[in-house]
Amino acid sequence: MKKIVTLLLSAGLVATATQAFSSPQEDLQKFRTYFEQKFPGMKLDDFGNGSYALDESKRIQWESMEEFPPYDEFVDKGREIWEKPFKNGKSFASCFGSDPSKVRVKYPHWDSKTQQVVTLEGDINKCLKENGEKPFGWKKGPIAWLSAFFGYEARGQKINVKIPNDPKALEAYEHGRHFFYAKRGQLNMACADCHVKYPGHFIRGNLLSTALGQTTHFPVYRAKWAKKSKDGDGMGTLHRRYGGCNKQVRARPFKAQSKVYRDLEFFHQYMSNGLTINAPGYRE
Amino acid sequence: MKKLIMTLGLALLIAGCNATTPSKPMSLKEQYEAKLAATQAAVEKAASVEGEWRDIRWKKSKKKYLPSAIKAAEAGDYEKALKLLDIAEFQAKMGYQQAMAEKNAGPHLYGM
Ligand code: HEC
Repeated sequence: MKKIVTLLLSAGLVATATQAFSSPQEDLQKFRTYFEQKFPGMKLDDFGNGSYALDESKRIQWESMEEFPPYDEFVDKGREIWEKPFKNGKSFASCFGSDPSKVRVKYPHWDSKTQQVVTLEGDINKCLKENGEKPFGWKKGPIAWLSAFFGYEARGQKINVKIPNDPKALEAYEHGRHFFYAKRGQLNMACADCHVKYPGHFIRGNLLSTALGQTTHFPVYRAKWAKKSKDGDGMGTLHRRYGGCNKQVRARPFKAQSKVYRDLEFFHQYMSNGLTINAPGYRE
Repeated sequence: MKKLIMTLGLALLIAGCNATTPSKPMSLKEQYEAKLAATQAAVEKAASVEGEWRDIRWKKSKKKYLPSAIKAAEAGDYEKALKLLDIAEFQAKMGYQQAMAEKNAGPHLYGM
């Protein structure tokens, strides 16, 4: 018995050693290959369609939803927010530049000055505060609408997260990566269990999507969230979804825009580099 | 030999009992207070390694074992409070252990 434990331990140690040396580029390549082998013949961008890429009849339903997408009115609301000047006469363009189609693709990114991962939602609220406006709530409502508008304007561009070769940036990336692969909660499951090991399988009636492509269409309009809200607003940010996925394994969710979730986003979006942005999306 | 072990065991048991039985038994309230402090420490420890579980104290949990225990104690029901703390402390310790066990988690465990 003792031998087995020692063996296991040393295997773990060896694995950690190789882990420490794998660069984000190597991780990305292995990640991509893993999914391409698991779903042979699937086009890269199709991974961005979540579970609809994995089930023909679900896909047909979804495509009919997308003909009159319920998120359109929220993209329009986002556009109004973008165009509306602040009380000081400036607007979001003073923070993000005048071309809204060039915003989404810059996020998330590493900020070498503050030594942290900066997200689009984080910068939206930063802009409001800097201009003496009240910041938005983090997970839904105006922040998701404006983010959806940026996503919509960026449709067709490719996710292009850069992990600079800076020890602190790599630390944040590795923190996010570790969070993604570590089992947690009373159900003892990692993000990777559901979205790497078991995509294509059903869990309590839900068809699990691949982690590859999972960020292309955020923020997302979810029918489930629309049902929960008073006014049918089903929009939510990526961090709202992270919280939901932590909760369902009975782990305590972290706050939207906490360091944990920003680091997770850094890793998670990076893994979808090269996939086409198709935000916002519709999901069940 | 066997007898010797049994006698030794018995002796230890008695000694053990003597050692842990204070002259005046702890009141339920005192037990609760000690257990509360231990639980709170265990929860902070789990949280410090990102290992806290959902139902210990998160505000939207339906169970919220820790705050529910405090409520029960405030209402004078120390027995109920102790039972709830038992669960909270156990979950906190498991969450910490889990995080420790997952220290080496990474893509290498998923065939990458
Ligand atoms: C117990 C299984 C399970 C675990 C563990 C889990 N999820 Fe999920 N996740 C789901 C289910 C079910 C859905 C809804 C179906 C789908 O799209 O995969 C989902 C959906 C998502 C989506 C939305 C996909 C889309 O196409 O819109 C994202 C993003 C996501 N999960 C990320 C994560 C992350 C990050 C973690 C770890 C913090 C995680 N999940 C852990 C089950 C899980």
